[in-house]
Amino acid sequence: MFLRIVSDSFTRKPRRKILTAAALALGMAVATATLEVSLDVGDRLAREFRSLGANLLVTPASDTLPLEIGGVDYRPVDAGAYLPESDLGKLKTIFWRNNIVGFAPLLDVPVNVAAGNAAKSSREQLIGTWYSHTVTIPDGSRFVTGVSATDPWWRVEGRWFSDGAEEAVAGAGLAQRLGLRAGSSVKIGAGERARTVTITGIVSTGGREDNAVLAPLEIAQDLAGRPGQYRRLLVSALTKPADSFSQRDPATMTPVEYDRWYCSPYISSISLQMRQQLPGVDVRAIRQVAEGEGRILTRVGGLMWLVTIAALFAAALAVGATSATTVLERRSEIGLMKALGASHRAVGAFFAAEQLLLAFVGGVLGYAIGVVLARVLGIGIFGIAPTLRWILFPVVLALAAIVALLGSLAPLARASHADPAPVLRGE
Amino acid sequence: MASLVQVENLEKRFGEVRALDRVSFAIDAGEWIAIMGPSGSGKTSLINILGGLDQPTGGRVVVDGQDISRLGERDLTRYRSEKIGFVFQQFHLVPYLTAVENVMLAQYFHSITDEKEAAEALKRVGLGDRLDHVPAQLSGGEQQRVAIARALINHPKLILADEPTGNLDEANEAVILELLRELHASGHTILVVTHSPAIGNLADRRVELEHGRLARIHVPSIAKD
Ligand SMILES: Nc1ncnc2c1ncn2[C@@H]1O[C@H](COP(=O)(O)OP(=O)(O)OP(=O)(O)O)[C@@H](O)[C@H]1O
Ligand SMILES: [Mg+2]
Repeated sequence: MFLRIVSDSFTRKPRRKILTAAALALGMAVATATLEVSLDVGDRLAREFRSLGANLLVTPASDTLPLEIGGVDYRPVDAGAYLPESDLGKLKTIFWRNNIVGFAPLLDVPVNVAAGNAAKSSREQLIGTWYSHTVTIPDGSRFVTGVSATDPWWRVEGRWFSDGAEEAVAGAGLAQRLGLRAGSSVKIGAGERARTVTITGIVSTGGREDNAVLAPLEIAQDLAGRPGQYRRLLVSALTKPADSFSQRDPATMTPVEYDRWYCSPYISSISLQMRQQLPGVDVRAIRQVAEGEGRILTRVGGLMWLVTIAALFAAALAVGATSATTVLERRSEIGLMKALGASHRAVGAFFAAEQLLLAFVGGVLGYAIGVVLARVLGIGIFGIAPTLRWILFPVVLALAAIVALLGSLAPLARASHADPAPVLRGE
Repeated sequence: MASLVQVENLEKRFGEVRALDRVSFAIDAGEWIAIMGPSGSGKTSLINILGGLDQPTGGRVVVDGQDISRLGERDLTRYRSEKIGFVFQQFHLVPYLTAVENVMLAQYFHSITDEKEAAEALKRVGLGDRLDHVPAQLSGGEQQRVAIARALINHPKLILADEPTGNLDEANEAVILELLRELHASGHTILVVTHSPAIGNLADRRVELEHGRLARIHVPSIAKD
């Protein structure tokens, strides 16, 4: 009986039903698009940050001004401050440890490089770092990291050096100048010290590494006479794009705000947490460009939410208006039902079921339109369509149901509480 | 034996208008009462209160041992579905439901639907061949017979009919009259508001209202004797 009445009344007044469903569909389309795009913004930003490589640079706080020309540090080995390698495991103990994707310590040493048995050597830059190094974390677990994690797209012909072996990789430019290839043996000297390593591969990064020799950190430390120390640390961390909240000075925050800030993966809060673990360091964000982009995207997202709320509100109003008309029209039917002993709940259920049915139709339509809209917007904003998230489908349906019910709440209440006597008396 | 319905000092005001003014009378089980009186004398107001569609502003109405002037919304709803069968002047059938579905609607609000029983009830009012017609396909008299079948379906204690023949021609009025007589004969308690002297004469008693007051109670059978 229930179904009979609902399905019957559902097929009546088709124009009004279409109007209501259309209003719901429109609201849901905007909501779907916003959800799709804004979920995608977060993911995509994170991925973009990662693909750009390390986004944080850790240096000693008391360092002398770097003397860098074209990315090459020309400070003498004994100038400036160094940091202890043994502290690095602590990075994986900060609050946002899981957002620390990887890190690689760097120690640059100016060296003389002589290929094979050649007598003549040239002045080159040696970069000591980790490729894939196992770090012991204070809690006893192990974490494998190095440039393989911070700069995974660096291409190497041949293979990377293994940490702890007498091996190195040569930058593509340097290799060409010195005629090195995988398998070449080179002698690397600095002052009195010298090591002979085998070149295992030729690396091209598009950066300063192309004109340097990359070797295990331990070799660089030995040549520099700085065992267990490094000078710079690249960290790749997943961070939340900066917003107005993250720009605030933590010192001026209330305790609640401070907690919120501390527990959000902003660059600023992760930096603070890193400084707390590594004494005497300075943490700087690099990739400022991407940061700025993130801010714009967040702002676009905020605007879309605003539009979504407006659209949902409009949909609720439209639903309210049409269901008010329906209730008014069916006054005598409602009065009759009550006279026959229908409870508030029974009368309300008929109308609620009808609204839910409309919500379903509107929700399905809206989702379909929203997916298309999200594609258009996604391509407009990112140049790539957002990935479809099926989980949004039930979410949008639920949202449609909520909007339809909330929108028709007042007429629904009026219908179910209507007094039967005046209705049945008059006409 | 206590009466099925006891009306004591019943009063109903609509603002300044006294639709019912200290009305008292009683109805025994199985009685057929006709309520008569000029337009605006309070007949509909009385029947609405008896049917639990409206609340009195004063006095008491006890039906089947229940003081319905004190019932809350929820109990009143139950009272309507279990104790009362309504028949209206405008039939009030649901236009998009068939005859049998209209009868089943009353079953639905009462408990559960039983199509066979609903069809049976329609056969009893002579509409066995009209089960699947919607109201628009039925004559006025046929619609009113559907309404009567619907009023009877839950075995109510009290059948309330507000001018059931008011919208019908004489031929149809006669059919309804015959139905009411059968119901009465089979022991139903019937309260019918009517302007029709024919119905008034058939009833056990006639309650006459004037300006909301009980003018007189007429017992035709005694007059006939
Ligand atoms: N909802 C209301 N608000 C105000 N006055 C009302 C209302 N309902 C009824 N009345 C008044 O109460 C009085 C009795 O009305 P009621 O409908 O009971 O009369 P009735 O005897 O059924 O008349 P009729 O024979 O025309 O149906 C009338 O004066 C009417 O105007
Ligand atoms: Mg009346």
